[in-house]
Amino acid sequence: MARPGRCAEAVLSWAAHDLEPYAIQRHSRLKIAFVPLLIGSYAPDLMSKWFVYGIHLGGLDLKASDPVQFHRGWPGVGFTHSLLFGVVIALLVWRVFGSKTWAISFLIGQWAHAITDTGDTVGTMLFFPWTVHVHLGAWAYAGQTGRLTDAAAYFSGPGGVWDAVWIVYGIFSWRVLTRSYFEQHVYTADRFWASANRIFPMTALLVLYRTAFFYGTSRWIAWSLWAHVVHHYPYDISWGGPHWVTAAHSPPITWAQGAGMAGIVAAIVAGAYAYRLASRRRGWTASRSET
Amino acid sequence: MPSRRQLAVAAGYVAAAAVYIAIGVAFTDFLLSYFVGLAYLLLVAWLVPAGVRRLF
Repeated sequence: MARPGRCAEAVLSWAAHDLEPYAIQRHSRLKIAFVPLLIGSYAPDLMSKWFVYGIHLGGLDLKASDPVQFHRGWPGVGFTHSLLFGVVIALLVWRVFGSKTWAISFLIGQWAHAITDTGDTVGTMLFFPWTVHVHLGAWAYAGQTGRLTDAAAYFSGPGGVWDAVWIVYGIFSWRVLTRSYFEQHVYTADRFWASANRIFPMTALLVLYRTAFFYGTSRWIAWSLWAHVVHHYPYDISWGGPHWVTAAHSPPITWAQGAGMAGIVAAIVAGAYAYRLASRRRGWTASRSET
Repeated sequence: MPSRRQLAVAAGYVAAAAVYIAIGVAFTDFLLSYFVGLAYLLLVAWLVPAGVRRLF
């Protein structure tokens, strides 16, 4: 293990993972529970990001010797950014909590995170155990440079712009943050809120619901001010930027790999479609037998 | 359009965010944890107003 340059603490990802759940909650036709959706959105980095940036614990400095490999690779914990990881944990959630809504909500949140992180120059092993990294290369992956440089790079490039899109979208969709929306759509979709309401008043629950939006937006502004007003890092929103940071890269995807990925996606879509048809047919048969 | 009450609530959150951002820019460690953000927001958007209402 290498010694990090400075003490750092556990950290989650940047703002998109805080803000995407509100859009998913609003637009999904499925019954969605917000809490597992948010946990799913945070899950891939929840146990790993601290070790990527390093942590100072007592007299020990703990940090992955190869942060990129650890965070996104195999061997490493890169499988946490795969579709299969979401399915496995969702099945566990279903088994442990007995709630299909919680399982599906977690799955959607985790998939949103895994797919969003394909936007950087390293990408994610979306189809793990196939270890090819799916990556668009839109913004620089700089986790290996440490938390502060990573933050400066992220909020200077297309990644910061991507987060800004979610913030603007959230502000335009301000109704999802209102008390009436919370009471009508969020509270009623999940028994968790009614259980929590036995201990905490509705105002506290509303604060809990709004926290991710507050946290994501405030953090985006704070890091942007820190990077550009306090430290004067240059903006570079060109594709793959900012180019002033030493970014980590995955090798380009070959045509054969691309074809393989298209095949997997087609199989998943076909499976989902077949499941939906079968569910409808079961419902139709049940309604006929009742009449 | 948002109602006057909704705008007042939003203004409260914006004020809370301004303080959070100011602390965060000065001490970036403050920005690192969702749970710190949650504790801060519970304090300023629920506990403090509830305490003030109880006092007056």
